[in-house]
Amino acid sequence: MAAVAAVTLQERTDGLMAGPATASLGFTATTHTLGNGLRVVLSEDHVDPVAAVCLWYDVGSRHERPGRTGLAHLFEHLMFQGSANVHGNEHFEFVQSAGGSLNGTTSFERTNYFETMPAHQVELALWLEADRMGGLLQALTEESLDNQRDVVKNERRQRYDNVPYGTAWERLVAMAFPEGHPYHHMPIGSMADLDATSLEDCRAFFRTYYAPNNAVLAIVGDVDPEQTLAWVEKYFGTIPAHDGKPVPADGALAPVIGAELRETVHEEVPSPALMAAYRMPADGTRGADAADIALTVLGEGESSRLNTRLVRHDELAVYAGVGLMRLSGTASVAMLDVKASGSGAVSAIDAALAEEFTRFAEEGPTPAELERAQAQLERAYLDTMATVGGRADELCRYATLFGDANLAFTALDRLLDITAEEVRAVAAERLVPDNRAVLVYEPTDDADENEEQVA
Amino acid sequence: MTQTGEMVFHPRPGAGAAREWTFPAPERSVLGNGLAVLRVDRPGQKVVAVELVLDSPLAAEPTECEGVATIMARAFTEGTDRMGAEEFAAELESCGATIDTDADHPGVRVALDVPASRLERALGLLADAVRAPAFPAAEVDRLVRQRLDEIVHEMASPPRRAAFALNATLFDDAVRLSRPRAGTAESVARVDRAAVWDFFTAHVRPSTATLVVVGDFAGVDVTGVLERTIGTWSGSAAEPSRPGPVVADDHARVVIVHRAGSVQTQLLVGRIGPGREDASWPALTIGTYCLGGTLTSRLDRVLREEKGYTYGVRAANQSLPNGSLLAIHGSVETDVTGPAVADLVTVLRTLAAEGLTDGERDAAVQSIVGVAPLKYVTPRAVCDSLADMAAERLPDGYLPELYLKLADVATKDAAEAASGGFDPARLVAVLVGDADKIREPLEALDLGPVTVVE
Repeated sequence: MAAVAAVTLQERTDGLMAGPATASLGFTATTHTLGNGLRVVLSEDHVDPVAAVCLWYDVGSRHERPGRTGLAHLFEHLMFQGSANVHGNEHFEFVQSAGGSLNGTTSFERTNYFETMPAHQVELALWLEADRMGGLLQALTEESLDNQRDVVKNERRQRYDNVPYGTAWERLVAMAFPEGHPYHHMPIGSMADLDATSLEDCRAFFRTYYAPNNAVLAIVGDVDPEQTLAWVEKYFGTIPAHDGKPVPADGALAPVIGAELRETVHEEVPSPALMAAYRMPADGTRGADAADIALTVLGEGESSRLNTRLVRHDELAVYAGVGLMRLSGTASVAMLDVKASGSGAVSAIDAALAEEFTRFAEEGPTPAELERAQAQLERAYLDTMATVGGRADELCRYATLFGDANLAFTALDRLLDITAEEVRAVAAERLVPDNRAVLVYEPTDDADENEEQVA
Repeated sequence: MTQTGEMVFHPRPGAGAAREWTFPAPERSVLGNGLAVLRVDRPGQKVVAVELVLDSPLAAEPTECEGVATIMARAFTEGTDRMGAEEFAAELESCGATIDTDADHPGVRVALDVPASRLERALGLLADAVRAPAFPAAEVDRLVRQRLDEIVHEMASPPRRAAFALNATLFDDAVRLSRPRAGTAESVARVDRAAVWDFFTAHVRPSTATLVVVGDFAGVDVTGVLERTIGTWSGSAAEPSRPGPVVADDHARVVIVHRAGSVQTQLLVGRIGPGREDASWPALTIGTYCLGGTLTSRLDRVLREEKGYTYGVRAANQSLPNGSLLAIHGSVETDVTGPAVADLVTVLRTLAAEGLTDGERDAAVQSIVGVAPLKYVTPRAVCDSLADMAAERLPDGYLPELYLKLADVATKDAAEAASGGFDPARLVAVLVGDADKIREPLEALDLGPVTVVE
């Protein structure tokens, strides 16, 4: 696994690894590697008596094989159904009864699990994570699989299928990343594939990906580093490593799609909408940071160009925004979302967007816009780093995807180092018509029915 | 690396020695203009959270233009005596700040988040927004048109649609709670600059407002900064508003909001209950958590973890200006709506018949009380909670006292409060879903008369 990660690293983060990490927030982190390959990141913060335990497994929906979409996420649910010494829902019960909070999430690129605990309960969280890393299969049953399959299908209904525009990003991602590409499908997966998933698929998935040498564990907060490392060694140290992980499918793509892709959906939605996805530079590059600033100027906040033009001036939209979904194993994605106002037509929205994007690609941001975008991104960064849980997650992210946890503490410096010309250049290269997948929504029902008030 | 050896499992470890944690206690002061200030220091936190709590309850809105409080709240950031709307937005964002406004039943809230280094600049903008808002007629008219467009989207959202229908069904038509907080299409359309101005002059003044500030104030003369900014806001004196009674009819009945083709049914089951001032509030809070606070609570234990009917169902006791709303909410697959609601009712009846176990009570107390140090880490979390208490005019020591009482709740009292509150014979059930598929199964459950609305 190390060789593959290292190659990816060099391609994606050239220039970014140089120089010592600075601790701009006053925090530092140390990284240790156990004999079985588990990387452990420790960062002290003694202000509040709390600590976070965060575990990233280097497996996400991009690792799924055809016909088994949704498996990584379904598996995340099964991780809460008990393990060798944890019965049923005890993982939740133990943590919450200790005054902790917990969850897990699955994305394209990783699966994470986290517990934020009162500091004196950290050992419990480590024991729980180790028990399922090494002993999940001892508790995995057909019954829990069938139950969580139904829960996940209801999650899909609730978040995608029963919501206006709910499947928009799923459709756009499938357009921006071609058939067969590892990012072509969303982590939630399809109903058919969820139905087809067998207990043996889950067992094989665990044996392939849930290994200490495919994970990063971060512990952040009011902890004694020596004691904590001793606990980590005690609970995780004897979990066997294994090398069964296949080389992930190549996510490399041309920088631009090549020609505009466009689909129109006729559905019962409250208003017309124009949504789009653009391929952007991969995470971990200066280009991704430049793209983040470009999209902030264009589409984040009240004073952004799209809000000013489409919502305030022309009143074509009730909402207009664009943001960056950072991906490290392939192109990042700019996600554009415009919901039409009562008087806005998609053609007029499209024309106004084209004007704004073209002008921005020619002129770049004004000095005031650059300052505003960087100030907004600074606050967002400070908010992320304000909690031990947020910091633990960022440390895991940089360790897993870029090989160096301490890059989390310098992320803001890199954003503030971007120049107006770099922002303009990335817009000129990427925010162009032949690099976008466009999804247009046209309502099927007449507006009267939707405007009706509940008596 | 290759697979070698066997993992050595260890017994579950116990807890270490807990470090003492004290509830973030606010320091109260009053500025020269009569504005009450609650301040909490959170060392090490880089972003300051500020919240202005105004005594402008929704019940004070003129009936014909309900929604005016929401439009006023949004129009605060649409320009002042010093700058136009777009300049204001740009200035605020160059501070790395955000201002969010919200108009709820107790009053309007204006929340500011800003990195500590730019606190005074951003507070100056917040001060201008309430001291001298321009409320330009053109911007107010645009906000009204936007709000009308938003309503169309809200009506398409199953949870929002369910909330509108429950409020309209449960509360008496005479109380403001029965109608949408941000107004109906009819009433919002009547809001104009004059209406906003009238509401502002009648209900917005420093002497009845409270400002909560939370952050790392090391080396900052907080009082000086506040006096130079929000302290320049002036206004006449006034008596604080008094919340009126909550009038509701919670006899059991079922309302289906027809949404053709829904693959899930959105459930919202509710009635009114006692408020924070009631002695049973701590017991109700623990009991409600045992019923539906997390995925190992009684409802999800059956509906999610046993049956797989849902991604999650939760119960909540939500404080109102007088009393509370007790509600169970979640969404279930369309085809199992009948069985899911039947199970929900069975869970409630079992709770009433058998009470709670000490283990459930202990888990709830340990979770709710134990999580406080985690919950109150960020300035925004502390600020939100204190602003809630200020809006409800609770004493400054209310929260720490509540936590002491929560830790002391007896199992029997928690069970009684929850089973009395969530009495199946007194619940109004709203279901947003495909009436053609769910009507018959619901009628068969005999939960009271079933009506279908479009």
